[in-house]
Amino acid sequence: MKALKTFAFGLALGLGAAVARAETLDCGDDTLCKIEATKVLKVGTKDDYKPWSYRAADGSFAGMEVDLANALGQLLGAKVEIVKVNSANRFEFLAQGQIDIMIASATDTAERRQVVGFVHPNYYSSGYNILLPKKVKATKWDEMTGQTICAIQGAWYNKPAQEKFKLELLAFAGTAEVESALQQGRCIGVLSDDNLINVQLADPKWADYYMPLPTQDDAPWGIAVRKADLDKPWGVLVAGAIANWHRSGKLLELEKANGIAESAYLRKMHEALKDHLATQ
Amino acid sequence: MLELFRQFALELKASGINLTILYDAFDFERFVSGLATTCALVVLCTFFSILIGAAGATVLGLSRGPAAMLVCAYVALIRNTPLLVQMYFFYFAVGSLMPVGQNAIGLPVPMIGNFTWAVIALSLYAGAFNVETFRSGIGAVHGSYEEAALALGYSRFKAFRYVVAPLGLRFSFASLANNLVDLTKATTVAYAIGVAELLYVSNQIWSDSLNTFEMMNVMLAIYLLLTGIVVWIIGRAQRAMRLPGFGVN
Amino acid sequence: MSETSIFADVLRWLPFVLWGFGLNVLMSVLAIVLGTGAGVFLGLGQTSHIRLVGGVSRLATQLFRNAPWLVLLFYCIFLMPYSIVISGATYNVPSWLRATLGFSLPVAANFSEIVRGAIGSIPKGQWEAAEALGYSRSVTLFRIILPQCITRMLPPWMNLYALLITATPLASIVGVEEALARTQAAVQSEAQASFLIPMYATLLVMFFLYTYPISRISNALERRFRTV
Repeated sequence: MKALKTFAFGLALGLGAAVARAETLDCGDDTLCKIEATKVLKVGTKDDYKPWSYRAADGSFAGMEVDLANALGQLLGAKVEIVKVNSANRFEFLAQGQIDIMIASATDTAERRQVVGFVHPNYYSSGYNILLPKKVKATKWDEMTGQTICAIQGAWYNKPAQEKFKLELLAFAGTAEVESALQQGRCIGVLSDDNLINVQLADPKWADYYMPLPTQDDAPWGIAVRKADLDKPWGVLVAGAIANWHRSGKLLELEKANGIAESAYLRKMHEALKDHLATQ
Repeated sequence: MLELFRQFALELKASGINLTILYDAFDFERFVSGLATTCALVVLCTFFSILIGAAGATVLGLSRGPAAMLVCAYVALIRNTPLLVQMYFFYFAVGSLMPVGQNAIGLPVPMIGNFTWAVIALSLYAGAFNVETFRSGIGAVHGSYEEAALALGYSRFKAFRYVVAPLGLRFSFASLANNLVDLTKATTVAYAIGVAELLYVSNQIWSDSLNTFEMMNVMLAIYLLLTGIVVWIIGRAQRAMRLPGFGVN
Repeated sequence: MSETSIFADVLRWLPFVLWGFGLNVLMSVLAIVLGTGAGVFLGLGQTSHIRLVGGVSRLATQLFRNAPWLVLLFYCIFLMPYSIVISGATYNVPSWLRATLGFSLPVAANFSEIVRGAIGSIPKGQWEAAEALGYSRSVTLFRIILPQCITRMLPPWMNLYALLITATPLASIVGVEEALARTQAAVQSEAQASFLIPMYATLLVMFFLYTYPISRISNALERRFRTV
């Protein structure tokens, strides 16, 4: 019996140690206050969305969105902790407080605004399209009706693409599975962001593929915070940071540095917000 | 009747419980097809896994040679590695070595689709557990039965087929029920390779409508119902096959 | 792509995946400890003569035993709060720990059945004999019945652990960075089809090497304790 008690005590101790450090803070719901007190910024991002967010060979995170996370961390003087999320769990993770901010290529939609707070201005924009092998001669979306197309679980365009064009979707949790499935001929194409497809097409690996259909529903991406934070110091600070990135051209720079072709959206935002006094 | 459901669901939505499957035609349709896929998986895999289990136990019951070793290796491999990894391995790794056909526009199409791979992986998985179940059921049959049959002039195979195996089956029911309940639950793993079963469609629905909590409860209720049905059917089979005077509960 | 460079690539990613496997082991050990603890209570509860205790224990056992592991995992990951406040201090509960709790629920239910089965396998006459000797029900249970049960419960308990460790990759679906998730990340990063089979095979071997000895010991114990 005594051994049992010792064991139970040890277990409780172990669990206590396993749970991250205890904090006694009087911040209430103020996320900015918590970040400043702990000097830790927890950012949710994907690990399969090269070149926006992915893993480098040493296992660390890299990509344009990770660069943005680091820029925020630098601004706040906080250590950036990247938490891997995927399309199907990112909103829950944010709402639960597992992450302080989500920079995970999430399109800003009405349904999602009911759950999380999208900070404005938006930081990127894309529509959806299909990556197809050049063998498939198609110019209109209607020709895709009834075809099996691979997709990512949880992407916002899965439902409209199925409803509007009657695609047969074969959805996986990550892009690794999607690419394998495509290479093995389990689907004829991949439903994806037009930006992502453009990046892939620049790679010789995808030389036999192209994007012949017109892009649908171009919509902006949003960095999100918890709904309660949207109009509080944390949300407003992030909004200011994004506006500054547009104004200074940092977003355009990072896009280029990560090997992405310049997007019309970033150029437009930069033109709208740039310093009118600065000389060219 | 359906309209009544719709009204009810919309009222629920107003009070914060968003069951899109009851009022959104698209969600309803995909949910029903997901349920049908899950049921098809359960039925097919139950059938094949019992077949595999019976075949494996027969081999183990009759031989000690390389065939028996092969069965033992199969059981050990399947039982000691994760089903999810097996599923990925079959679908992506083994699947890439399989023959491919061609579709109308000349693109390669694998002959074995993801549903079939799920059936193969799940049947092999549950089959390994069934081999063990049947083997120990047969092991529980007292040796004197076989001796008596041999004394009556049965061959070794016939003694196994007509005396030992039928008795062993009756010892196996409790464990078999357990395995088949596990199989029913394990069908959710097919989600990983894109089989549009219940968990897959539910995940799509809650990604679109962000009603995670509601869908989770609906799923839990459905799986409890499904496993309940499996247990009930096995119970019926067990009662139907009961031998008067034979000492198995 | 030559054979040796594939091998070198696998080797390069091996530490990364092995760290993930460490998380699988950690989750399984914590879950078996938590689940066994809770399972003992549920199992004893099932044999209780108090109707409420028996009913609740049976209900909980059936509920967690018959719900898919993946569904229970989704519950624990999405519906449990990320940080809990205990007497003013805030504790963060990371995903892997919530997944561990998710695994411990079915483990508890399965162990509950093992306990009930073991108690039921002790001949009724022993209860009657103890009662005749004036022992109370709880003394009979703890001093006479349970000690005999332990050897009977050990093999199925080890089987349960083998089942649990092979179930832990399910946590990758809910976003825990264990071995399978890391294998997928590696495959994604290398982006070549020939890398797929060796990486998944390595993962299978990793689990087999860990789990197979446990199964063997469990089988050996079962043979040894078998009451003839």
